[in-house]
Amino acid sequence: MPGAIAFEFPDLFFGGLWLTVQLSGLGLIGALVLGTAVALMRVSPIAPVRWVGAAYVEFFRNTPLVVQLFFLFLGLPLLGLRFASDTFDNIFRAAFVGMALYHGAYVAEVVRGGLLGVDRGLIEAARSLGLSYAQTLREVQLPQTFRAVIPPLGNIAIALVKNTSLASTIGVTDLLFAAEIVESRTFRAGEAFLTATLLYLALTIPLGLVVNGLERRLLVVR
Amino acid sequence: MRGMARAVAFGLAIAFLAGACGGAGTGGTAGTSSPAASAATRPKFEVQTFMYSIQVKGKLRVGTQEDNPPFSVKNPTNSKWEGFDTDIGREIAKAIFGTQGDPDSFIEWVPVTSATRIPSLTDNKADVIIKTFTINEDRKKQIDFSDVYFSTGQRILVKKTNDQIKEVVDLGGKTFCAQRGSTSEQNVTKAQPAAKALLLDSYPACLLALQQGQADAVSTDETILFGLVKQDPNTKIVGKYFSDEPYGIGIKKNENSDRNGFVAFLNTWLAAAIKDGTWGKLYEKHITPVSGDKKTAPKG
Repeated sequence: MPGAIAFEFPDLFFGGLWLTVQLSGLGLIGALVLGTAVALMRVSPIAPVRWVGAAYVEFFRNTPLVVQLFFLFLGLPLLGLRFASDTFDNIFRAAFVGMALYHGAYVAEVVRGGLLGVDRGLIEAARSLGLSYAQTLREVQLPQTFRAVIPPLGNIAIALVKNTSLASTIGVTDLLFAAEIVESRTFRAGEAFLTATLLYLALTIPLGLVVNGLERRLLVVR
Repeated sequence: MRGMARAVAFGLAIAFLAGACGGAGTGGTAGTSSPAASAATRPKFEVQTFMYSIQVKGKLRVGTQEDNPPFSVKNPTNSKWEGFDTDIGREIAKAIFGTQGDPDSFIEWVPVTSATRIPSLTDNKADVIIKTFTINEDRKKQIDFSDVYFSTGQRILVKKTNDQIKEVVDLGGKTFCAQRGSTSEQNVTKAQPAAKALLLDSYPACLLALQQGQADAVSTDETILFGLVKQDPNTKIVGKYFSDEPYGIGIKKNENSDRNGFVAFLNTWLAAAIKDGTWGKLYEKHITPVSGDKKTAPKG
């Protein structure tokens, strides 16, 4: 049966799956919070704030995630910075920060697009009713934005789950790492990687369904 | 159709004859090491052997790693492959294609890592793997090995200031770094199950982790550790051997008679290279600068 090897090495495969789930979940939350904040910076009326947001997006979107992970894991300590004194905590946190920073840049662009897509008339109406800039953002622009950007955010979320596999290069014992270790111990490469593939699908397919469901629920017929 | 096939075959035969005559006519005067000119000086192999098919193909695909000093390094400044394992590859190429000409012209270098060594043979991406490749029973089920061409054992690298870790048992509760997919990690965990493994893609990355205190030790074959000490003199090698690491040249198993005579050929070549001093010269060139000793054979 395909995937049976997972039950021969449950610690590796299911432990790895759990780490992948944790890294994906935390990374996604981090990316959404960071990305939304940066998107707001990019539409800010204050020019230097816009520039900082743009610089962040361009930097993290235009460098490879693996390079960012290596910098966070082996580069930052050279500057005397470390996320945790314990090596394995440090690696996991470096991977989480990497996921949030890299995907946050994509989220920022998607959310910015959504913010710009809100009808100017609505914003002007809200302002003329006496809502402040912050209130208009919170009550009018952001709710509409999130409804509009759910499909592209879903894409980013799925990409994030798959990209967590790059964390294995800095020693995170995630699902791909588990498959590689099992492969090197048993030489059953086909089974090990097929199992990892099935487990990744078990994460990404339900995630896609959740996104589709959200999209339908929040759909407003105009 | 049949007539046409015959015409093509005839044309090919004429072209072949012309080529053969031309080769004979210019071979003496050209004096270069082009494959055609050196064909006469090439070793002869039986048609059904793998060595013959390699000669016909014109390239030996040598799988080795880009950053595994002092065994194999792809020099970043001139892209040339250097090290003990790479020179072993060149000697094998000479044994197949003859000693005339640059052996590199007969070699296609295939970069591999510890984890991709066996797949690159079974998927037929490389003809030989020469990459500090420890012979063991598990691996022998998948691939064939030559006789032992290098023999070493596993030890531990720590910072010079570290006086707590002296033997492998001292790694209990400590973090050690090793390459993913290598036997090094399994050997440490066998000797000291309480050791925590940080598994990265290469030993230079492990050395960086050691320098930064993210790993307390690096553990792998002594000869690779020699290379790391050379990179960072603030480290030292401690402990006795806690494993035997006999390196062999890995090749695909002879299924469907596609590797006929290859293991025997490699072993004959190896025995000759040890006997005529070639092996000792390679040891002195690549290993002595880091180990300080001299050897004339893999064992003893």
